[in-house]
Amino acid sequence: MVHHNGSERTVITSCPHDCGGRCVLKVHVTNGMITRITTDEGKEPQLRACARGRAYRQRVYAPDRLRYPMLRTGSRGDGVFTRISWDEALDRVADALKRTATTYGPESILYVAYSGNTGTFLHNQLSVFRLLSMLGGFTPVWGSASFWGSLFSSEVTYGTVTAGHTSDDILNARFIIMWGWNPAETVQRTTTAWYLAQARERGVRIVSVDPRYTDSAATFAAQWIPIRPATDTAMLVAMAHVMITEQLHDQAFLDRHTVGFDVFQKYVLGETDGIPKTPAWAEHICGVPAQTIAALARDYATVKPAKLLTLGAPGRTAFGEQFHRAAATLAAMTGNIGIYGGEPAGFGLPAVGLQPLAGTGLISRKLTGNLPDGARQRPALHITKIWDALLKGKEGGYAADFKMVYITNSNCVNQFMNTTKAVRALQIPETIVVHEQFMTPTARFADILLPINTHLERYDIIRPWQGGPYYIYMDKAIEPLYESRSDLAICQALARRLGIEGYGDFTEEQWLRMFWQEAENFTDTKPLPDYDTLKREGVHKIPLDAPVIAFAEQRENPEAHPYPTPSGKIEIYSKKLADRNDPLLPPIPMYIEPWEGPHDPRTGKYPLQLISTHSKRRIHSNMHNLPWLRELEPHTVWINPADAAPRGILHGDTVKVFNDRGAILITAKVTERIMPSVVSIDQGAWYDPGPDGVDRGGCVNVLLEDRCSPAGAFCSNSCLVQIEKHYVYGTDG
Amino acid sequence: MSMGPMDKKTMHAGQIGFYFDQTRCTGCYACVIACRDWHDIRDTKVQWRSVIAHEWGKYPDVGLAYASLSCMHCSQPACRDVCPVSAIRKRDSDGVVLVDRDLCLGGKACGKCREACPYEIPQFGTGDDDRMQKCTFCVDRIDTGEQPVCVLACPMYALDWGPIDELRRKYGTVQHIYGFSLASEAQPSIVLKFQSE
Repeated sequence: MVHHNGSERTVITSCPHDCGGRCVLKVHVTNGMITRITTDEGKEPQLRACARGRAYRQRVYAPDRLRYPMLRTGSRGDGVFTRISWDEALDRVADALKRTATTYGPESILYVAYSGNTGTFLHNQLSVFRLLSMLGGFTPVWGSASFWGSLFSSEVTYGTVTAGHTSDDILNARFIIMWGWNPAETVQRTTTAWYLAQARERGVRIVSVDPRYTDSAATFAAQWIPIRPATDTAMLVAMAHVMITEQLHDQAFLDRHTVGFDVFQKYVLGETDGIPKTPAWAEHICGVPAQTIAALARDYATVKPAKLLTLGAPGRTAFGEQFHRAAATLAAMTGNIGIYGGEPAGFGLPAVGLQPLAGTGLISRKLTGNLPDGARQRPALHITKIWDALLKGKEGGYAADFKMVYITNSNCVNQFMNTTKAVRALQIPETIVVHEQFMTPTARFADILLPINTHLERYDIIRPWQGGPYYIYMDKAIEPLYESRSDLAICQALARRLGIEGYGDFTEEQWLRMFWQEAENFTDTKPLPDYDTLKREGVHKIPLDAPVIAFAEQRENPEAHPYPTPSGKIEIYSKKLADRNDPLLPPIPMYIEPWEGPHDPRTGKYPLQLISTHSKRRIHSNMHNLPWLRELEPHTVWINPADAAPRGILHGDTVKVFNDRGAILITAKVTERIMPSVVSIDQGAWYDPGPDGVDRGGCVNVLLEDRCSPAGAFCSNSCLVQIEKHYVYGTDG
Repeated sequence: MSMGPMDKKTMHAGQIGFYFDQTRCTGCYACVIACRDWHDIRDTKVQWRSVIAHEWGKYPDVGLAYASLSCMHCSQPACRDVCPVSAIRKRDSDGVVLVDRDLCLGGKACGKCREACPYEIPQFGTGDDDRMQKCTFCVDRIDTGEQPVCVLACPMYALDWGPIDELRRKYGTVQHIYGFSLASEAQPSIVLKFQSE
């Protein structure tokens, strides 16, 4: 939507980055320059933007934005480049693509695409996906650094990821458990925190289970239960033990709606392995007092309806999928499924607005339909295996020797685990192409670096990827700055050079019209407004008579409305998993001792459990470079005084955090808000190694092992480190 | 209880002030950045509105509360009273405290207002321009019927504004919150909601 007021235009758009929110940005433009950014002042609930969205003007006009195509002239990683023309840059990229595909086969082109833009219809990784597919194929990556454990568990247990309630349903709950869930800082849907505040004001009891006393715990919770990272499943299983032995579980619901509870019950009671999973058993593992575990179990089983709210963090551990499987099992045991104020503790998408497929999947189909099926035929590479695969290739059992790496929408050197290994791995390929807006730690490794415009310089449509009753038309506020272009425009130009016919020389708006027409087939809430209406409205809010909840039909009549699983029921026991015959991915939820957990023998050398948390002043690594946001809080490692004192560490000291994989320098925040033996660092600070290889930027992934859980979860909360005071260098985020 | 922003106000019946609900503030800084962006405050050492954290207790019995604060447009502003060149004045219509930066002598040459203010509100910048600056209560906005930008920015609806008498009727007269006691002889135009245990 564009509105004129004298010489000023206001343009409605949104933020396309990978947080759980999707807010309204109202961009004020005078003479082609953005002067201010405000937010939603329309119908309630308003979609008010956070500090990051409000700071976007500084990102658009940042002095360090990439302005023109560049060619590397220094060593990879040095960040030394020379300016070249678009013609030369595109010729070089096209030649490299052709040469690599012809000489080594298309599978030797690795496309690392991630979620720098999420939920956008047009400007995302699919432009390159389409180009490389039409060229003959490539090796894609799979996995998620965020929520794979949750996604996998939801698919197994419920047969769907559409297993959530809209945030307004928070007001229907009488008891809420926020388990490793901190929506005040990570923004799990734009309005969630506001509903939690209202619930608390209405007297709803809210409990936070988390190694840290987060902003969400402080603002919403009546009780904080600190828990050792990666041990959450043990506590959930012990809660099940309390419910079973005290007969607090909803047997009628379990009988009618689930399969395999009997198998799970035997495990819980110790009938299969001789170990009853009592609160005392769990206390030893997770550090939560047995009485606290039992009390929480009784509350969750008896105060109804109740929400057990989770998203990703406890599942970003060594056997993270077990946490989500156990959480869903408890939701079933307490009968909190298919009712207002309940929550299935699955992947939290509600069936409202556009289905998940519509955001990117729809366009993927549209873009790749009737094309050489290259990408989909080749085995994809998990995001934790990229560095290993580059280093080892076929000899290491990987599908190809990767000769060209194409990177878009991703700061993978910084954001995928084991940064030091990434630095070695990225010396291997013959060619590296990166599309970026800034000289990120990843961009420094490019041979050819192409400048991308920001979303304020192009048209798009966006949906809230975590679900929500609205869409936002992202109108173009200003023309692309400098020589920057969109991924789409680059791919259109490359297609011409590569002789690819039918890539589609449509304008952005022509594409969007086509997608929007298709979107009608992918919405739970019809009718959609037509394209021109959507564009005029800017924000289209779908009025709801009541919150949208999951599995209401199944709850009412499961015989007529089976769950979309193989058995038609909620699968506490999964035959599909049983058939995999993997003891580390069992058919029922089980606590499995995690690697680099609190009881790993390596704690002798590295006694502190490190968790990678989210910062409220950047979105992953996006916007780390903006002074307005940087000034708000220093980049720190949180450490309890009980761990700081014996190390001689004072609040504000520079410390070295290290293990066998690497070391970083960072400022210590000595605080009672984190449990002893646990330390935390916000992921996303930019890697900046010194001559000794020690990172001055405070990039947490330097410390993490590039290893995923059996189901593919990104285990960024399974990491052991040591910390010592550092006397020489200063560092500041 | 307020479920959202107050209606737009075009009339100022005497002194206006702010309301801040500490129980809702998550420390997200949206108000800080909204203020910085609207008023184009590029110097990161200058803050017209700031959010301050206050932590207390011993693990695991800990507490945390935030305060989002700006100039409180006192009834009896100490800054005004000490300014040697009368650069600080209160608007007759609504009591907003404004500084005439053309008159101000600057933080290095003078800085008396900084010493006088009980809340460390006056800001001076780090560059050549060290004349005093601070929250203007968005007079550019409220004079055209808009609300202050910070109030509209808060995702938690923790900020409100209006005639101070009205705010006191609606929210009470508390001027203490965790970490801050704001009552003083200057009579700040602010009402607070305290985060209870």
